[in-house]
Amino acid sequence: MNVIKQVSEDKKNIEISIDGRFDFSLHQHFRDAYINCKEKNSMFTICLSKTTYMDSSALGMILLLKDHAENYSGKVVISKPSESVNKILEIAQFHRLLTIEL
Amino acid sequence: MKNKPILLLRSGLVIVGVILIDLLFFQMSYLSITLALLLSIVLTMLYQNHNASLITLMANDTKNSKVRNENSNEQEIKITLTKIASLLSQQMTIVDTEVDRASTLIQEATTGIADSFKYLKSLSDEQQVMLNTAIGNHRGAVDEEGTTIESFVHDSSETLDDFVQVIITTSKQSLEAMSFTDEMSKQLDGIFNLLGQVESLASQTNLLALNAAIEAARAGDAGRGFAVVANEVRALSVNSTELNNNIREEISSAQNIINKLRSSVQTMASADMTATLEAKSRVSVMVEHVGESNLQTNVIVEELAGLSPKIAETVAMGIRALQFEDLTRQALSTLKNNTETITALNQILMEFESDNSNTNQELQTLQHQCQRLIDQSHYQNEQRSVSQSSMDEGDIELF
Repeated sequence: MNVIKQVSEDKKNIEISIDGRFDFSLHQHFRDAYINCKEKNSMFTICLSKTTYMDSSALGMILLLKDHAENYSGKVVISKPSESVNKILEIAQFHRLLTIEL
Repeated sequence: MKNKPILLLRSGLVIVGVILIDLLFFQMSYLSITLALLLSIVLTMLYQNHNASLITLMANDTKNSKVRNENSNEQEIKITLTKIASLLSQQMTIVDTEVDRASTLIQEATTGIADSFKYLKSLSDEQQVMLNTAIGNHRGAVDEEGTTIESFVHDSSETLDDFVQVIITTSKQSLEAMSFTDEMSKQLDGIFNLLGQVESLASQTNLLALNAAIEAARAGDAGRGFAVVANEVRALSVNSTELNNNIREEISSAQNIINKLRSSVQTMASADMTATLEAKSRVSVMVEHVGESNLQTNVIVEELAGLSPKIAETVAMGIRALQFEDLTRQALSTLKNNTETITALNQILMEFESDNSNTNQELQTLQHQCQRLIDQSHYQNEQRSVSQSSMDEGDIELF
């Protein structure tokens, strides 16, 4: 399983880690990881430290998560992207949309 | 009393020497130097001749011989003066010609140099205009809409960003569509379940109809009518099973279509960003290049702008330096005055030769005339000194 989900006890901190390639094949798992988290003011952390590759569908998935989080007044943070992944995030100008923690 | 003409001659020649040294002192011309040297040789010769005469006088003590000697000395003086006059005349002709020639040469050369400077200046101006045009082309509009290389690169960068945004938005919407498709797929699975229930209803109905038919047969004639109804019910259950199967097939093909849709959406959503990444970095490099190139161009433009006035200044300096022509002409004309003085002296010497009466009287006249020439020359020289003597003085544009 390339999508690993960890939820804190108060269910307000959800960390989703992606291992290896972050592409379309993960969309169902990724969606499943957050779609039922409907707590108000939740904090979604996407950990990309082990992500080796990302295509546009990954960016689309992150944007969908952001929409979902904003529906419940939550927030999305991208954590520790690798250099190549960070370049893609920069091209997509994600640093304007989300907090990226290097 | 016997030596008086000789003394007069001596003082006359000394005065001639003074005139020439005077000229030499003020003019320093090589021709003046030559003349001075020639005259000093003549003076030395005369002095020796006079000494020889004195020795002769002491040797021969008779009056006759003294008179003869005096006559002979006077004759010698006249011949010598004639020689000096012809030599002076010859030299003066050469000096005059050379001065005129030098004047003409300097004037021609100056005109040539001035023309060259003016041409150089106009070429430099032309070059500056061309450079300005070239720089304007480089920096300015490339087409009617005012696209510059800089703005083009900037636009490309923005277009690329927009393109990336379009890709991401498409991916996002495709993923949303995918979610809806998955929902639909689940709904279809639900329909399959319902169909299964309908099928079991049909088979139960079929079974009931079969039971009813059996019961009707057992009842005999009384049950005949009911047997017909039971058969119809059974036929209905079979029909509904067929209908069920048809629906199942339709939904199956719908599910196949959904699978195809899913793969299409997947293709739509999964754009590889690597190529875009490379394009983006190329555009960034381009932006950097354009910036650098602009900086360099600006530096060169500034240097060129500084160069043009420098050239103009240098040309002006060159033209100012050409004032030497004017000064040289002044010097040459002064020299002309001096040669005129010498010519006048020559004339006096000529006159001395033509008259044969009283030598003493003539020599005195010669002294007076020489003194007059000295005074005249002094006056002219003072006049000259008042005029400009250096090229650095003043800032007059002559051309």
